[in-house]
Amino acid sequence: MTQANNIQNAFSPATLKLWLQKIPYAVFLGMKAELHKTDFLFTLPKDERFIGNPSLPALHGGVVGAFMEQAAALQLIVSMDEPRLPKIINFSLDYLRPARLHDTYAKCVLNRQGRFITNITVTAWQEQLDQPNAIARAHFFTPQPT
Amino acid sequence: MPVLSSSQKYNLVTIMNNHIPHGKLLGIEVDSVDGEELTLKLPYQAALVGDSDSGTLHGGALTVLLDQTLGIATVCSDTTEPCFSPTLDLRVDHLGVAPAGMDVFACAKVYKSTRKILFVEGFAYCESKDKPIARATGSWVRVGDVDLSWLVPGDQGGVIT
Repeated sequence: MTQANNIQNAFSPATLKLWLQKIPYAVFLGMKAELHKTDFLFTLPKDERFIGNPSLPALHGGVVGAFMEQAAALQLIVSMDEPRLPKIINFSLDYLRPARLHDTYAKCVLNRQGRFITNITVTAWQEQLDQPNAIARAHFFTPQPT
Repeated sequence: MPVLSSSQKYNLVTIMNNHIPHGKLLGIEVDSVDGEELTLKLPYQAALVGDSDSGTLHGGALTVLLDQTLGIATVCSDTTEPCFSPTLDLRVDHLGVAPAGMDVFACAKVYKSTRKILFVEGFAYCESKDKPIARATGSWVRVGDVDLSWLVPGDQGGVIT
């Protein structure tokens, strides 16, 4: 735990930006990451390219899921001694409210960081944190430093 | 007794698929409708890569494809009237990776429908259905019937697409 905190403190948003640029799909999403106190806040900026339902209009549910998955992966990267791209095992997503054409935010909680596998939950919201649009749980395989 | 013929389903899912702006942006298209099973195709593109070293597709892009495929497959069920159904939940197991340069297909069908809920399952694959790269399950909520009056009039089981 202490270790993770140290690394988070050492992990500057600029370094995270470099990681974001290494992932073409994160660039495609235009994702941003900012450090708020000790937590990273991820943003999927409002963009008409992500509309899934033009009648509402609402964002494509898959894009919201993809953003949450990428947020989880980045959260994991910043917690590693030697940051590497984690590999997703599975992803379970509950849709609570349609995501409108606004900025979407996500924050992650590492529930268990084992030797090989990490369990992480992600909450995504738009207007208010206590009214999430979606919650997700993911398992990642975390490659060990050689 | 199927509610819709294969060609009616094909028309319906094509219109639904083309009505999704983000799906169009990614070039997701209807590949086939076979009975209750719908298959969509996502063409490979560099922007959707998750690891620039290997060129493999990002897991999130698979989530987009699977969400769209399972969601539209809800109208291909023969046990229930086509309806508008928002997603309740979706789970994706990543069984492998989509190799660089390869188009991805996703197939899905409703395996159980109740009065309010449609339970859907599907797979994503590249080379063949025998080698799935992801498995998805999810549930969709029935909220209202689709108006089918615009559908090809008098289709009596015509062309199988």
